[in-house]
Amino acid sequence: MFDRRRLLFAELFLVLLVASCQFGAVAISTAQGNGKNKKQSGASSPKPSPIDPGDRPEVDHRGPGCFVVDNFFADEVWAKVGERTCLKCHNAKGDASGSEFVLRDPARDRTKRDEVLRHNRVAFAKMASTLADGKSRLLRKIAGDLDHGGKQVLKPDSTGYKILARFVRRVSGKPDDGPAVADYDAPPFFDGVEMMPPQRLLRRITLSLAARLPTKDERAAVERDGLEAVNSILDSVMKDDAFYDRLQEAFNDILLVRGYDGGGEGALSYEHFKTRLWYQDRSPRKGLSPEKQRELFPYSHPKMIAYTKLVNDYREGMLREPLELIAHIVRNERPFTEIVTADYIMVSPYTARGYGVYDELQDKFNDPDDPFEFIPTKIKSLTDRNGRKVQESATGFFPHAGLLSSFQYLKRYPTTETNRNRLRVRMYFLHFLGIDLMQLAPRVNDAAAITAQYEIPTMQAADCVVCHKVMDPVAGLLQDYYVVDGKGIYGPRKDGWYKDMFAPGLENEGLPDNERWRSLQWLGERTAKDPRFPVAMVEHVWYILTGRKPLLPPEDIDDPLFSAKRRAYRVQRDETERIADVFVEADFNLKVAFKELVQSPYYRVDGLASTVNNPRRRAELDDVGLVRLLTPEQLERKLTAVFGQEWGRLTHRESKFKILYGGIDSKAVTERMTDPSGAMGAIQRIMSNDVACKNVALDFSREPSDRLLFPNIDLSVVPGGDAEAKARIRQAIVHLHQRLLGREHATDHPEVERTYELFAGIVGDAKAAKGLEKVGSYSCDRVDGKRLDDPNYTLRAWRGVVTYLLRQHDFLYE
Amino acid sequence: MQRRGFLKLCGAAGLGFAAPVGPSSISRAAAAKADPSNYEGPYYVVFNASGGWDTTYLMDPKGVNELNRLYKEGDILTEGNHRLAPNAAHIEAGMSNEDFFKKYGNELLVLNGLDYSVNNHSPCSRYMATGKLDSLAYPTFAALAAACKGPEVPLAFLTFGNYSSTGNLVPMARVPYLNSLNNLANADGINGSARNPYHDGFVIDRIERALQQQMKARISQARLSRVERSQSMLYAAQLNSKALERVTPFVPKTSPKEQLSRQADIALASFKAGVCVSANLNIGTFDSHKDNDIDQMKLLPQLLAGVDYFVRRAEELEIRDKLVFVIQSEMGRTPKYNNNNGKDHWSVGSVMFMGRGIQGDRVIGATDEKQFLVPIDPKTLSTDKEEGVRVRPEHIHAQLRTLAGIESHEFSKQFPLKVPEQETLKNLWG
Repeated sequence: MFDRRRLLFAELFLVLLVASCQFGAVAISTAQGNGKNKKQSGASSPKPSPIDPGDRPEVDHRGPGCFVVDNFFADEVWAKVGERTCLKCHNAKGDASGSEFVLRDPARDRTKRDEVLRHNRVAFAKMASTLADGKSRLLRKIAGDLDHGGKQVLKPDSTGYKILARFVRRVSGKPDDGPAVADYDAPPFFDGVEMMPPQRLLRRITLSLAARLPTKDERAAVERDGLEAVNSILDSVMKDDAFYDRLQEAFNDILLVRGYDGGGEGALSYEHFKTRLWYQDRSPRKGLSPEKQRELFPYSHPKMIAYTKLVNDYREGMLREPLELIAHIVRNERPFTEIVTADYIMVSPYTARGYGVYDELQDKFNDPDDPFEFIPTKIKSLTDRNGRKVQESATGFFPHAGLLSSFQYLKRYPTTETNRNRLRVRMYFLHFLGIDLMQLAPRVNDAAAITAQYEIPTMQAADCVVCHKVMDPVAGLLQDYYVVDGKGIYGPRKDGWYKDMFAPGLENEGLPDNERWRSLQWLGERTAKDPRFPVAMVEHVWYILTGRKPLLPPEDIDDPLFSAKRRAYRVQRDETERIADVFVEADFNLKVAFKELVQSPYYRVDGLASTVNNPRRRAELDDVGLVRLLTPEQLERKLTAVFGQEWGRLTHRESKFKILYGGIDSKAVTERMTDPSGAMGAIQRIMSNDVACKNVALDFSREPSDRLLFPNIDLSVVPGGDAEAKARIRQAIVHLHQRLLGREHATDHPEVERTYELFAGIVGDAKAAKGLEKVGSYSCDRVDGKRLDDPNYTLRAWRGVVTYLLRQHDFLYE
Repeated sequence: MQRRGFLKLCGAAGLGFAAPVGPSSISRAAAAKADPSNYEGPYYVVFNASGGWDTTYLMDPKGVNELNRLYKEGDILTEGNHRLAPNAAHIEAGMSNEDFFKKYGNELLVLNGLDYSVNNHSPCSRYMATGKLDSLAYPTFAALAAACKGPEVPLAFLTFGNYSSTGNLVPMARVPYLNSLNNLANADGINGSARNPYHDGFVIDRIERALQQQMKARISQARLSRVERSQSMLYAAQLNSKALERVTPFVPKTSPKEQLSRQADIALASFKAGVCVSANLNIGTFDSHKDNDIDQMKLLPQLLAGVDYFVRRAEELEIRDKLVFVIQSEMGRTPKYNNNNGKDHWSVGSVMFMGRGIQGDRVIGATDEKQFLVPIDPKTLSTDKEEGVRVRPEHIHAQLRTLAGIESHEFSKQFPLKVPEQETLKNLWG
């Protein structure tokens, strides 16, 4: 007999990793781009596009109709009981592997899901129809009878037990007296879902990844070649510097690595890097008394301003270093596994000085005065401040292992005498294998009693061992990075590594003694080969592009929409795994993951062809669609791209709006807000008023050919005039909709009409009002100190129109 | 279209967001009370002692078995039905247990012997905040209450840290600085000045009407669920934000130094202005693995002083009787000291409640002399070692939902707690 509690950690992994079978899914249709700005239905794709699932690994099912496995088994027995309960032990490697009831995991290979489900149904049916003392063995075992190793798994009044009881009746040919199983013939998942026109997809891509609007050439290429053109444009976009800025920002959202205590050079210990404060030698205040310092070199002194900039640039370089590693790997299309295996770090001319390696590297920099030119290098194994060797190394170099050994990364997630590197282990699983160990914490009956009962609960109490036997060996791999006073990161524990923890290693493999000096490289090598790694990386790309994490499997089997939610999860998971496969085939080139996901239906979904009323179908599509509230940084970049100048109030260092608008500081505030509060609504109103204020008059003051907003109209054109005037105003609105909202509206589109009515209404109101000035406002409508003439109020009306457009969903969301 | 008619339309479409367009002075703020969408309470305040407090130094004193080094069993004090650890002699600042219980004991409900079930910060924080251990989807009680009772107010759920999941029911609001509220009060005025608007009044009116008409037109369109939700939330956020001008009169001129008091001022100004339903306040870190007694003697008085400040300011603003307080931490601390004079994580702890609808001067549940929990009879709330139930966060949250009157709300049903009827804590609130 085995103790079920010992399986809880396996359960944890299984819930996260062992994907469930999803039948009736995966017929993912995508639109064929034709270069026209028409919405396209996913269901009506005339032929496979280059990114059509037709090019993808075959999935041998299309819907329930093709299954020999009945819906009841797949939807109820397997989804709600089998995979969640039985499979944990009853698998080829599980604690119940020696029993007669051995199941297979349909999620292991999504191309063989039907076959595996059929196998499992046969196994269940056999157990169900075999009697013990006149009662089904399946029901007796699950209730804890017949020496069931897992003891009682389901209580007789539980939903799961009732499902099995119904299954037993159905297998034995007796009438099923339970509620009717929903007769839901699932359509292809994206059936009735419209895909984005290629031009809008292009705009989304360039704004999201390159902080700019599409170029004329790009628009022409998409007009000509449709989605075919997007692939090559993506190649170009992913060479832009702006893409790497975005990439770093996004990976910091995931890793939060910029948020370490002390900041900047605080990642380096004076004990090992006595050069870390190199900038102090350049201070103009050096050697002066405090009084003289203030007298001769106040902070406003040009030399102090330059010095402050130098220090800030150095610190920024240090903060950025791990993210520069990511950028370097992606830019050079190196295997992304290098984030855990790279035997080098990235240094700039400034940070190289901090590491004390500048002299040997200075000739390798293109510009030794550029604080943000980063190049790869290795640093020597560590010595103390007196030059004595303190770090063993067979190569003479620090055993770099990508982020795993990054000074900044380890500093961000410090160890303590209590957590003993376990926080780092949690982050390791989360960041590199996509598993949150704390996500579904297994409940125990009496945690306090267990803690008190054992001398070393983490090694002796089954409830604790299930997790700690996985966590603690990895914690041991980090044993040489055990600095608990916050000064740097390298240094083994004085009393040797803990004996009351499982020995260093990974899963069932121990760390050989001769690998101890390079334990993180040893870990990185294994991580890179772990099949969970590519999926986790694709999930990171998913987060970067959508602003949210992929779906988790539903938990509540009593939820009437459980099956729908599970299908939504399963189809999305299939897509993630498909992209992961392509990513691996491309030698872990992360650009490929971006390209695959950008062209995936999930990224291109634009709307519904018709209203969906079926609750189950609505639940399936609940998370579909990008619909992402722009972050403060993204909104600033969009404003700059659209208006040609930044607004700044969302992101400047002194900005009070950044956190209010849902931004993060990587330390205390680490999650971006995804829905706007009233406070954010107020900021949106401030932004829309202020950006219109700063740009409309300015734009009108330019030559028409130089204007971004109003190239084809002037302030003398008033509504209510002749047809030509109306047409010009509508054309001007069409241009604004295209530039600000990314909408290619016709002049008679209802939204154009609404904007026209707004403009005309404002001008009409102004005409009727008394006492209005014939010039623009002092605060908003001055250019070069002079208020622009506005005899017809059209300048101010256009400003109102731009304010209106900036408040719209199309502008504020991606 | 009349605003309320429009709201009704939104509600019919499953949107359910909109808000008052509020006046900008105290007198007009008073007038806003007549506005049905001006939230007037009750207000829900959750104090989080982040990191795990030592309950034996507060409401569940022991003094035996070397559980505490700062007092002995005989030193334990009582205040009404409460037993409290004496600490006035050991603190340098903040509010002592003696003063706190003397002042609030009559209003205070203490539940000892709460089973957190696990002892890691992350799941415990989630569990205590939501009542659900094994889900990342559930909203915190504060967020759920905000969603059910006032989604139409601009800062319905205000959070200052700790686990703050909303279940996608309501936007969370972070307001880190008191002055932030002033900055947002007049979004249509240049530099926040109502006297210097960006647009003439009729222009703004036109813009608002156009946005409203656009929203109305969208309701009948086929839209993805995410689009529906986000368009609704965006429209509501912008419309509701105008109510923020009601906050300005209640923003204190100066900001206190203490962390909790600063949070309290923001929350109270928002409550008083009718723009907030619930606030999640946070102080830490109580995670005293080293030098437990030093840390706890510093932080517990800060926590109690923060509660006291909140209550006093609420009295000044005349909303004290509308407040419901939950004072909690995500775990307790072990019954023995470790080698660093610290205490590690313990899966048994306590929680305190106070305010509207809660009968005070009561202690429910217990821990024994070794700080193990004693089960209770859910019907009588008395301890029952043999037949009682282990009180867990879901039991508490089920009752909090009842206290708030939201147990049958559609949003609550989306996130069921599944407490068996026989485990329902009867008359927890008295």
